This record gives sequence, C-alpha cells and structure tokens, in this order.
Amino acid sequence: MTAEPQEMAASRTPGAAISAFLSRRPWVRLTALLSVPLLWLVLVYVVALAALLVTALWTTDSFTGEIDKTWSLDNIETVLTTALYRTVTLRTLGLAVLVTLIDVTIALPIAFFMAKVASRRTQRILVVAVLTPLWASYLVKAYAWRSVLSGGGLFEWLGQPFDVQSPGYGMTALVITEAYLWLPFVILPIYAGFDRVPDSLLEASGDLGGSGPQTLRWVVMPMIVPAVVAGAIFSFSLTLGDYIAVNIVGGTNQLLGNLVYTNVGAANNLPLAAAIALIPIAIMIVFLTAVRRTGALENL
Amino acid sequence: MTVTETADRPPRPAPEQAAISLRGLRKEFGDVVAVDGVDLDIEHGEFFSMLGPSGSGKTTVLRLIAGFERADVGTVTLGGTDVTTRAPFERDVNTVFQDYALFPHMNVLDNVAYGLRVRGVRKAQRRARALEALGTVQLGHLADRRPNQLSGGQRQRVALARAIVVEPSVLLLDEPLGALDLKLREQMQVELKALQRNLGITFVFVTHDQEEALTLSDRVAVFRDGRIVQLGTPQEVYEEPRDPYVASFVGTSNLFDSAVSQQILGRAGIHALRPEKVTLTDAAATRTDEPVRVTDGVVEALGVVAETIYLGAAHRVIVDLEAGPRLVVLEQTAGALAAPEHRGDVVWARWALDDVVPLSAEADQ
Amino acid sequence: MSKHSRPSGRRVFGVLLASVSLALIGACGGDDSDSGSDSEALQELGENEGQVSILTWPGYVEDGSNDPEVDWVTPFEQETGCEVTSKVYGTSDEAFNLAKTGEYDVIAASGDLSLRLVAADEAAPVNTDLVSNYDGIFDFLKDTEWNSVDGVNYGIPHGYGANLLMFNTDVVQPEPTSWSAVFDDASKYKGKVTAYDSPIYIADAALYLMKHNPELEIENPYALDEDQLAAAVDLLKAQRENIGEYWSDYLKQISAFETGDSVVGTSWQVIVNSLDSANIKAILPEEGSTAWNDTWMLSSQAENVNCAYAWMDYIVSPKANATATEYFGEAPNSEAACAETVNPDHCEIFHAGDEAFSEQLWYWRTPIAECLDGRTDVECTDYSQWTAAWTEIKG
Repeated sequence: MTAEPQEMAASRTPGAAISAFLSRRPWVRLTALLSVPLLWLVLVYVVALAALLVTALWTTDSFTGEIDKTWSLDNIETVLTTALYRTVTLRTLGLAVLVTLIDVTIALPIAFFMAKVASRRTQRILVVAVLTPLWASYLVKAYAWRSVLSGGGLFEWLGQPFDVQSPGYGMTALVITEAYLWLPFVILPIYAGFDRVPDSLLEASGDLGGSGPQTLRWVVMPMIVPAVVAGAIFSFSLTLGDYIAVNIVGGTNQLLGNLVYTNVGAANNLPLAAAIALIPIAIMIVFLTAVRRTGALENL
Repeated sequence: MTVTETADRPPRPAPEQAAISLRGLRKEFGDVVAVDGVDLDIEHGEFFSMLGPSGSGKTTVLRLIAGFERADVGTVTLGGTDVTTRAPFERDVNTVFQDYALFPHMNVLDNVAYGLRVRGVRKAQRRARALEALGTVQLGHLADRRPNQLSGGQRQRVALARAIVVEPSVLLLDEPLGALDLKLREQMQVELKALQRNLGITFVFVTHDQEEALTLSDRVAVFRDGRIVQLGTPQEVYEEPRDPYVASFVGTSNLFDSAVSQQILGRAGIHALRPEKVTLTDAAATRTDEPVRVTDGVVEALGVVAETIYLGAAHRVIVDLEAGPRLVVLEQTAGALAAPEHRGDVVWARWALDDVVPLSAEADQ
Repeated sequence: MSKHSRPSGRRVFGVLLASVSLALIGACGGDDSDSGSDSEALQELGENEGQVSILTWPGYVEDGSNDPEVDWVTPFEQETGCEVTSKVYGTSDEAFNLAKTGEYDVIAASGDLSLRLVAADEAAPVNTDLVSNYDGIFDFLKDTEWNSVDGVNYGIPHGYGANLLMFNTDVVQPEPTSWSAVFDDASKYKGKVTAYDSPIYIADAALYLMKHNPELEIENPYALDEDQLAAAVDLLKAQRENIGEYWSDYLKQISAFETGDSVVGTSWQVIVNSLDSANIKAILPEEGSTAWNDTWMLSSQAENVNCAYAWMDYIVSPKANATATEYFGEAPNSEAACAETVNPDHCEIFHAGDEAFSEQLWYWRTPIAECLDGRTDVECTDYSQWTAAWTEIKG
C-alpha cells in the first residue's frame, strides 16, 4: 500500500504506472470507483423522484395528452380532497397491512422450523421449496389463483365437502393472492434472521430457567425484529405498488396502482398520475420513519 | 482411587450425597458413538474436571448433564433426583458456554439478571442481585455495556456472573478459558478456583488442557473415545497413569515397551517414567563398558546428549541411551549447579526404580 | 483497510461531490429531438422495406398462431416480402400510448382513437390514390368525421360492428332483448355481470338512458353535458354493485365466461366466436348499441411506409377484408368483400352497406367540450372528465 516512490520508478508498465498513481492518491481512486454507481443512484432515485414531483405540478391537455408545463397545485389538491382517492388509499393501505400481517404470521413458524428445527438436509430442501415459486412468472401465479378461485375451480372443489364457497373475485381473493405472491420475500429474511441466532443462546436461555415461550419472547423475538421488519417492508411495499393482481383476481376493486395506470394509460394524464403516485411514496416514508423510530433498522 | 468399569457390572446405586450421578450413559450422533457407557459420581462442592482431546466425549457428557442432549441409554441424577428426561430449565444446574452465549441485544446487567427475570423476580430485587453477582466478578462498573463492547475476559466474567446469580448447586463450565490468551487464562484460573471455594458449589469443568485440569481440580476424569479411562485426584492421575494414553496425555512421559523394560529395568510389561524424576551427571570420567546398571533400587544408564532446550525455569534434555531408547529429562535450571549438558556429552541418567510406573496395556491400539 | 488511509467525513463528502459532478457530465449528452411535423401525404410508392409493424385490435392481424386455420398474414408476406410483426391492444387508451412510442407503422384505430392520433401528430395523411382497393369501399364510410380532418384523409376504412350483449343461456333466462339485463335488471345476476373497463363504456349507459329516460334529452351518447354525465355515472354506480369484474383483456373475458364467473355483459363477436360454446349467445339489443368503425392509419413516425401502404391495400382488398371482418364478426367495407365471405349471409347479418342500420349504431368517438350533437348553449364533458368519472364509478 505505501510503497516508496523510488522503488516504484523501476521497471514500470503503463498499467503499473496507473496503479502506482492511484495507490498514492486514494481520493482519485475512490472518485473513479464511485462515479458509476453514483450516476446510477442519482439518475434512478433522485432524478426520478424529482421528476415525479415536478410532473405532479404540471397539467395536461385532455384531448391530445400533451403536457402543459405551467405550475399548478391542482393535481395535488384533487388528490387530497377527492373522496375517491381517500377511499382507494385506505383500501390499498388496508390491503398492504393485512397482507403483511398474514405473511409475517405464516412466515414466522415456517422460518423458525427451517432454521432451528429441520435437519440440514430438510433445511436445504425447504429453502429451495420457498424459492421455487419465485422462478415462475408473476402473471402465471396470479392467473393460477384466478383459476383456483373461479367458479368450479380448485378452491370450490376442495371446499365442497366442508361447504366452503369460493370467495370469488374481490378483496378476499386479492388478499389471498397477494399474500401468496410475496410470502417468499417475507420467509427468506426471517429465516436468515433465525439462522443468525446461535443455538447456544437458546440453550443459554433454557439453561438459565427460561421456558420455550419465555425464550421466544425475550431472546429470539428481539433478535429477529430486524429480519421481520425487512420482510414486512418487502410485502408492504410490493403490495402497495401492485396493480396487476387486482385486475386479475380483484373483481371490481381498484388500488392506487390502478389509478396511476388508468391516468397514464387511459386518461393520458401523467401529471395527475404523478400526483397519485406521491401517495404510496408518502406512505412508505411514514412507514419507514415509524420503523426507524423502533430502532429496528439499526441492526439491518 | 476408583476407576469405573462399564462392562457387565450391575450399576451401583447413586449415593445420596452425590451432586451428580451418571449411570450407563450412552449417546450416539448418527454413526458416531459420542458417549459410550459412562458411570460417574461427582460430590457436592467438588471441583471436577473432565479432560480429554476434542471428540473424546467430555463435552457431550456435560451437555447431557445440562439437558441440552437426551441420553440414548442411562440416567442422569442430580442431588438424588432423576432428571434424565427433564428439560434444561427444569434442572438445577447452570452452564458457562465456550462462546459465552451472551444475549447481544441486552446490556450486561440484563444478561446477568435474565435467570432471575424468567423466575419472576421483581425488577428492583433482580437488579440488586445481578449487581451483586457482577461485583463478585469485579464487573459492577460495566453493567450498562453491551456484550460487543467488552473484551473476551470481561465477557467470560459476565457469563460466570449470569450463571451464578441464580445460585445453582452445580455449575458446568465448557472450556470457558479456551478463547483467552495465556496470561488472562492463568489469572482466570486463580479466580475460578477462588470463586468455587467461596460459593461452595460443585464445578464441573471441561477442558482439553491437562495443566489447567491438574491445577484447578479436586478430581479429574480422563476421557477417550466416549469413555472414562482414568478417574482420580490430579496427583493420582499424574503420578500413577493407568495406561500409556493417560501417561502421555497428562503431562510428558518416557514410555518403555516390554522389551526395553526387560532390558533396562529387568521387569516385564510397559512402564512410564516422568522426565523430572531423572537426574543427569557427567560420565566422561566414570564411563564403564556396562550401559545399564541397577544398584540399591537406583537405575543408572549411559547415554549421549542429543539436544538441550532452555525452558526458563528448567532445561529439557534429550538423551539417547546406549541401551536403546531416547529419554526426555527435565533438569531444574536453578539446581544441579546450573551446569547444562552439551550436545554430544556422555552422561549418566539416574532414576529410582520406585519412580517407574507400570502401565496396563491399552485396550485398542 | 489500514487506519491511516481511512478518509475523514468531510473528505468523503468532497469525493462524493466530485463523483456526482463527473457522473453528471457524462450523463448530459446531446438532446436529439427532431419533432415529427405533419408532412404531405406520400405521392409515389417505393420499394418495400421488408418488414412492417402493426398495432391492432385482436382478430385483425391473424398469422395462424392463435388458430392454424386462421391466417391471412402469411399470404401477404409471401406476396409483398413484408414481414409482419403485430401488437394487440385492449383499449383505445392503451393504443394511444403505444402509438406514441413510434414503434408501429400501421395502426388499426376506432373512432375514439383516430382523431386523438391526428391531433397529437401521431398520424400521417394517407394518399388514397396509392391504395388501389380504396375505390370499392362503401362511400358512406369514406371521408367521415373520424377518418378525415379538414378535407385531409387520414385512413382507410376497415370494417364496423356493434358491441353486443353476450350472455350464458343456462343462467340468463328468459333471453334478454334489452341492455336492461346489465342495468336495471342486473341485480338478478349479482356478482356475475361484466362491463368493458374503459371510460368509453359511459356511452353505453348514456345510450340506455337516451332510450329509457327521454327527459334527460340525450341526443348523442358521446355528447353529454354535466347533468347527463351525472345521470350516466349514477346508472353505472348502481351497476357496479352487481359487477363481478370489469374486462379489457379479451382473454380474461373469455376465461370468465368459460368458468361461469361472468354470465352477462357487453362483448364482441370475436369473443363469442372464440368461446364457440352452445350456451353462450350474443345479441344486438333493441336499444341499438355503441359500436366501432375502424380505420387503418399510418403512423407519422412510420419507418416502413411502403410496406405500410402495401398492408393497407391488402387488408382492405375484398378477399382479405372478408376473411378478417368475418373472423372478427363485423361488417366488411365493400360489396366486393361481401361476395367473398364464407357465410353467404354474413353481410346481411351484420347489415353491411346498410346505411340505415349504420345510423342506428353509435360509433365510438372521443367526447370533447364542443358538443358532438351540435348543441352550442352548453359545454359538453370531455374525455378527461369521462376518465375521472370512470375511476370514480369503479370507486
């Protein structure tokens, strides 16, 4: 790292010369190294977000869809004051919360079993089993649920002996489908979280007199909170932004994503779409701030 | 001295006074037999060490006592109560783990108070008792720290405090000093011994360090392949090793096989001789044609110094005996006029016949 | 990392700043925006480019991949050497956005899309002299308000047809004759009613109101003042209670009728044909219907203009037009095409060339503020208001 310049002077190729130059100037090195990822970061996140905000302040010509670049708060005002957007926001938020709760509830025991109970071999098989659905296309899975929940579908057939009816297309079907779609994203971080808790800690707790539930409550849970939060962020944000599954199994319901899509696709009203898109962004900021308050992000 | 045999004998009843009684304990992991029939009684207030190389089964025995593993066969009795099928939290023993196993999300005080918390002790009281336990290990001032802010030695003490705060009758220590450097280890050995004396409870100490076992223990069990090969006081184990395995694992021994024993000692069987039992004198002037002679119970053998190693307090001298075997000799630096022999010198190696320990042949080697 | 080489906070910031500047310098390349202005129509055809890209409704560009029996693209490719790639869309709104990407040479557009394309400079004038089959097309389809602007022609008529009331005869009894099956009587099939997921569907409600609520004085379902729109919205909100799901993807519509999740709703003849099921029937209700009248348009950004002309000429030729319109289930564009249909009665069923019948259909138009029915005393609701209303209806 800190070779003497005199030594470096001897037998120099151009490559070595560059290396030597860089090794003595860590700032140049770091700058060169960081510029590409930073360009990416700036373009993808900062510029895109800023563009979104700016677009929300424009208006659009309704017939041709040309954007009229005069500043106006009309779109933001529309989004904030119209009952429709409130209803849809609450529906979307409720869906995201419900899906997240369901996924975390299902994922916790599965992940615990995978990490702490299953044998090494079973563990590998289970990890593959959890990952496998991710190889299938999103649309294939959503349409599969459409078929399962349809009239005369698998759900109704299985439920027949117990007199269980298919919920049909609608919010219930949507909750089931979304919970299924994002479950692997919740299981995997929680599994990794459990896996990071050394067995000796569980033994230590038992050794000191802690029963199973006490160990879970005071040793395991606090340690996997960051993992649960990571999983929850996945299912929450993925549900919040989804608009395809709702078209396939959601019946007549629409989510924020559909409103954005309709305004870009049908109404060709990009500024209003941008204004609507600010709602989930605002929700995510509030959500992440709340999570940060709990300190769960520190250990991520 | 009692050496417990495993084969074919009906198990003795557990004595009332024993803190821990193991009978016919056996544990397999897949194809590997980790513990292969162990019978053992550990007395109240005893500092008991289980010594052996890794894989000898000593840690598994400890985990069977703690309840982290279930025995395939045999019983574990604690203070007269059969706890073989009980969970760890139902046993009146506590463990100090090799990696300390401190809860990373709790500070030192909460770690130590954990055992009280699960027992429903009120907050003020558990704080007072935890601080008291921390005081015992001189860590009262670090109560607010997180485990990752402590040094290895400090973590070790927290683990100790956490285990003793619940006042167990038996404390199990699994290689607790293994991760510490030499200086700290020696210091902790002294403190552990003092702690055990003050608390008056049973310590069961697992180690692969024979010196540590000899220094600390009231009694030592030497493990090999899942069995106890010798059980006794440190002195018994050291002075009267039962077989060549113990003789060479506990301290250093010169081993004489049957042929050599016959030739030098005039006795049959395998024998061991500790290096410090041998003295060396210059033989340049007194050399004879006879390589070995035995007079008045003292053996004198002629040899050539092959190597001298300075150890500080002593020299280790390696002598090639003319009669055949190579002998390791420990010479106190301060004694014998401080005249270290030199390579190539001809010397008399001299030891008492009484110091030669007959060994039983090893079962499988 | 050795300790002495660890940068301090402020220096790190400096490095970041330098990196960002570097990155931005790299990012700010040239801004190459050559605006496609409206040029004159092509005067002379050149050599075919070898490929053509078509944006179309389903069922208009069939190359045998959906049904090996249904293929009128391959003969065209063999004849002209223009290889066809096609993209299918579900709503006119979707098509408008796809067209703006400039990736398509030819666009099949309904009346609610064509004028928007012209207004957005996405459509180029078409020289009908270069389309030899143009002459045979019914005159009443030429130079209409949805394919011509200020005397300039922007497209070649393809065919026309009505949105139909489709129903499952096992469930929907007696067989309906009126759109009331999906409006006033929809509650009989609660949760199994379907409707087209586009703001343009508001016109279907307006047409129903035009016939059943004369006091609203609706003259044209695409020319609604605010009160009339509100009435249509109310009707659609009531309908929503009974809707199982909306459809815009015709494959979704097919699957919903197959499984019985939908039993009654607006549909297209092509869907009825695809279902090919004895218990699925479609009728033109007594109120008449909203309808489409489709035009082949040339993109202003077209790169394969000659192949585009070749396609337009081919697809309106009697044989190809007959095959395509019969497959889709709509009226062909010429007498000559009627002679080529497999079903000799096809043109009669779809009233091809029947100007009087055509008057009964309300072809899709884009609603604009200037009322299409000629009223000048009020301002009509435009398409953006219809879109807002549509999202509100869906709730």
